[in-house]
Amino acid sequence: MVFDEVFDVIVIGGGHAGCEAASAAGRLGAQTALVTINLDLIGQMSCNPAIGGIAKGHLVREIDALGGIMGRVIDRTGIQFRLLNRSRGPAVQSPRAQADRALYRTEMRATLENTPNLHLRQGMVVDLLLKNQKIIGVTMQDGRRIGAAAVVIAAGTFLNGLVHTGRRTYTAGRMGEPASIELAEVLKKLGFPVGRLKTGTPPRLDGRTINWDAFESQSADEHPVAFSFSTERIEQPQIQCFIGYTTNNLHDAIRKNLHESPLYSGQIKGVGPRYCPSIEDKVVKFADKDRHQLFLEPEGHDTNEVYLNGFSTSLPAGMQQDLVRMIPGLEEAKIIRPGYAIEYDFVDPRELGHDLQSRRIGGLFHAGQVNGTTGYEEAGCQGLLAGINAALLVQGRQSFRLSREESYIGVLVDDLIKQGVDEPYRIFTSRAECRLALRHDNADERLRGYGRGIGLVGDSDWERFNQRRDRIAKVKSALKATRLRKCDAVYSAAAASVSSDLGESINLAELAQRQGMTTDMIQRLLPSEVQTSTSTGDLEFALADSLYAGYIKTQKVAVQRLRHHDSTPIPQNLDFRALNGLSHEMAERLERARPLTFGEARTIPGLTPAALSTLFVNVSTS
Amino acid sequence: MDTIVAVATPPGRSAIGMLRLSGPRSVEIIRSLIRDEQFTPEPNRVVLKRIMAADSDEVLDYALVSFFEAPHSFTGEDMVEISCHGSPVILRQLLDLTQRYDARLAGPGEFTMRACKNGKMNLSQAEAIRDLINAQTNAAAQQATRQLKGELSAALQPCKQELISVIVRLESALEFVEDDLPQLQLAETERGLIKIIGAVKDLALTYATGHLLREGLKVALIGRPNVGKSSVFNRLLRVDRAIVTELPGTTRDSLSESISLQGIPVSLTDTAGIRKAGDRIEEIGVERTHRAMADADLLVVVIDGSTELSPEDRSVLSQASQTTHIVVVNKSDLPQAPKLEEALDQYEVVHLSALTGEGLDKLSTAILQPFGNIDSEAVGLLITDSRHHDLLRRAQHSLEESLDLLRQNTSEELVLVGLHNALKFLGEITGETTAEDILTQIFSTFCIGK
Repeated sequence: MVFDEVFDVIVIGGGHAGCEAASAAGRLGAQTALVTINLDLIGQMSCNPAIGGIAKGHLVREIDALGGIMGRVIDRTGIQFRLLNRSRGPAVQSPRAQADRALYRTEMRATLENTPNLHLRQGMVVDLLLKNQKIIGVTMQDGRRIGAAAVVIAAGTFLNGLVHTGRRTYTAGRMGEPASIELAEVLKKLGFPVGRLKTGTPPRLDGRTINWDAFESQSADEHPVAFSFSTERIEQPQIQCFIGYTTNNLHDAIRKNLHESPLYSGQIKGVGPRYCPSIEDKVVKFADKDRHQLFLEPEGHDTNEVYLNGFSTSLPAGMQQDLVRMIPGLEEAKIIRPGYAIEYDFVDPRELGHDLQSRRIGGLFHAGQVNGTTGYEEAGCQGLLAGINAALLVQGRQSFRLSREESYIGVLVDDLIKQGVDEPYRIFTSRAECRLALRHDNADERLRGYGRGIGLVGDSDWERFNQRRDRIAKVKSALKATRLRKCDAVYSAAAASVSSDLGESINLAELAQRQGMTTDMIQRLLPSEVQTSTSTGDLEFALADSLYAGYIKTQKVAVQRLRHHDSTPIPQNLDFRALNGLSHEMAERLERARPLTFGEARTIPGLTPAALSTLFVNVSTS
Repeated sequence: MDTIVAVATPPGRSAIGMLRLSGPRSVEIIRSLIRDEQFTPEPNRVVLKRIMAADSDEVLDYALVSFFEAPHSFTGEDMVEISCHGSPVILRQLLDLTQRYDARLAGPGEFTMRACKNGKMNLSQAEAIRDLINAQTNAAAQQATRQLKGELSAALQPCKQELISVIVRLESALEFVEDDLPQLQLAETERGLIKIIGAVKDLALTYATGHLLREGLKVALIGRPNVGKSSVFNRLLRVDRAIVTELPGTTRDSLSESISLQGIPVSLTDTAGIRKAGDRIEEIGVERTHRAMADADLLVVVIDGSTELSPEDRSVLSQASQTTHIVVVNKSDLPQAPKLEEALDQYEVVHLSALTGEGLDKLSTAILQPFGNIDSEAVGLLITDSRHHDLLRRAQHSLEESLDLLRQNTSEELVLVGLHNALKFLGEITGETTAEDILTQIFSTFCIGK
């Protein structure tokens, strides 16, 4: 076949998955093309201009630890950094940042343009070229053919995208951008199981028409916590966001006009995310709530546009204007862009392996919303994994996968490929069995080594990581070695702070566990030479390790006990339907997940204990 | 799949002994045993056949042969049952023969295992069947049937629901910090937890009784010689099992029998009287008495009501003091020693005449009384399985840890560790709850999402 150009890896889509994939593949030495419909919209935040949040922030830090780019880009373009859950334990704290939407885009584009081996190409992919069930390239709408042995599909909401505002619908990938219809048809023709999902976005307001005094302000953290382990300092000036509320009158008005909502008229068939419901859903499903919280999030330093977070809607654009004005403080507000809902195709991710490669077509990888996920962070980490594995594949290297025990990325991928999705999939800390071990601040300890081994972590970052590790080891031993004795001057002050008896003597690691003891106080009690070489972050890291150590150890023992039989293999050709005592539904679940061991079978959701015991009896006696 | 064989009747001599074969070669094996290659048994029919010895033309035994065709058998495989005369020698020979014809001796529980595998029953049903087979009394059988019907799982459901709702509240609090959720009510969460702990604990506590139902109660009759222990023993058994004479020290050795007291299985042991031994045999007997005492859940100290309390009686009473015990004053048909009542005033005593049987009902009640309300007909669900008991105790323990942490205002993710563990333990009895189930409940409880 004659190609206009030939690369090692093609990435389709320039969103958050596509950018990570292209950057990783290029930096790993694969000649990589990023093909996207509009090069000016690379790294566009289609929805909320923010990155991170509980569990999502963990993902970004993991991306960074592996050598991805999302963390660095948001650190340079974030305009409101906040560490969430500060009052809670370190495992469930997570950074979140509001981004300057335009800056983020520019910064991402610049990052990609400075990436070796990466080539940006504008155009729409309309066909996948195959030979012997393996990918060999793609065809563009303009007729060009581009060859590559690995292709990453990261098409976001563009596959068969259909926008709804009120009763009007039109095809689009995002508001104002063309949908990718042909590629969606190709995937169907290739036999991929394709489903339909829905997501939505709220209206954007003109900041000059908002009565800001009517809202509570929410400030950035005084000491911002960065996403990237390489970031020294957050440079962007920080802004305030604002919090307001809907009213009962507004709820009544929405309920009265539900027939205008495509969600309630039956026009939208796709399933939307439950944790990101439209305002229509909120007032219907939680009718007894007399107010819903809204966030006014400025979209950047150089724009008046304000994102009305919490007011996602697909009601007619004109009606949105009337409804917004019923919100206290928005009586005069003007909508710049109306909200809308969008339906799009996704491919059942159970088609994929842990490397995100399709089991159906060699060399084809899926990442992001095409796998049924939602969120920039979810997309980014899949893009990184797919880009890494696409490059490893063409280079003939062993594929890379992460386990549930060591990362949220591992949890996410494992959930996707084993359970599939019924609604847009979002990460939560409760999805991770080992949540206490997966902290945002120890993502480097967990994953830096992998990034280095693959080749995505450069010398200076590696050096920085090793130094931090040494500092933490030092502070850890100082915490154990430094003891307060009854005769010490500081003993009584410490005892008073925790208002309890400290015994004859106590070391700092133990003292830190006592209620009422703060990191600051511990820091002051450290030997002065350790104090000067230790940052607050290092100390927090060390204290978090000792806080959770006991739990993590117990958990490990329990897991080992539970997994006693997990290595029992399940024959590849085992016909689940032929097993007596397995209901049709159970057999189907097993068939879809195709577990290789009893351990894998055990994690398949919806399998009853009876079905598991039947399976176990079969595999352990055969 | 190979063909397995086992003797299905208890060891020892009996009228009938039965051997079971299960597996595809069952019919071939019976053909070889009866030396008739044409034999094509009709399923579910019993036929009389001659079993031939291996290397001669001698008839080993006449046996009734039944064939159950797959999948309509206990294991779901072809099965053959051979009922022959209950001589251990014949059964042994028959067993050897089948193995020579390529059957394999079944491992423990292997028939049931195959039944599970072929979908004839699930694991919990299999456990219940095991209990049913081992059940020693009606009441124990009733409990096994209850569990077979899934009553335990049903009883735990409300507990599990409440636990999930506590988990949902705590998980939402830490997962959706930016959402406008109702403030977490510590007191309410605490109340919820206390309620769950109470319920789990109550259920776990029924194990003491449930265990008794399954395993039975070990009761030893002890006392100095000649107070009538063997008479009391015979009376409780309703059979003259032990030899009774007027000579002190007639019982030389401990003797055990199983009886049912109000539905509770009781293993009753008659022991040699405790005194300074006169000869080597008696010495061994007394030693065995001490062993029986150490094993017993309950000691019944028998005193002769027609004589005053002797130093030997006092010694027996003091030896019994370490174990749960009751005191029986026997021979109430004779004139009672005047000072005896005063001497025993610190004990609750049961007066009995082993001779006439008067006071026997009171004795039965007194034996069971220390073990709580075990009116086996009236009580509800009891935990009889040690695995279930263990899981409940572990759930309780985890919940209590979480409650402590909650009261100390510890961050939710740590409180949740114990709660999730408890849920897992309960889930091993009732079926699993996945992370997805919990998220589903979160989203239906709270309005989440900006």
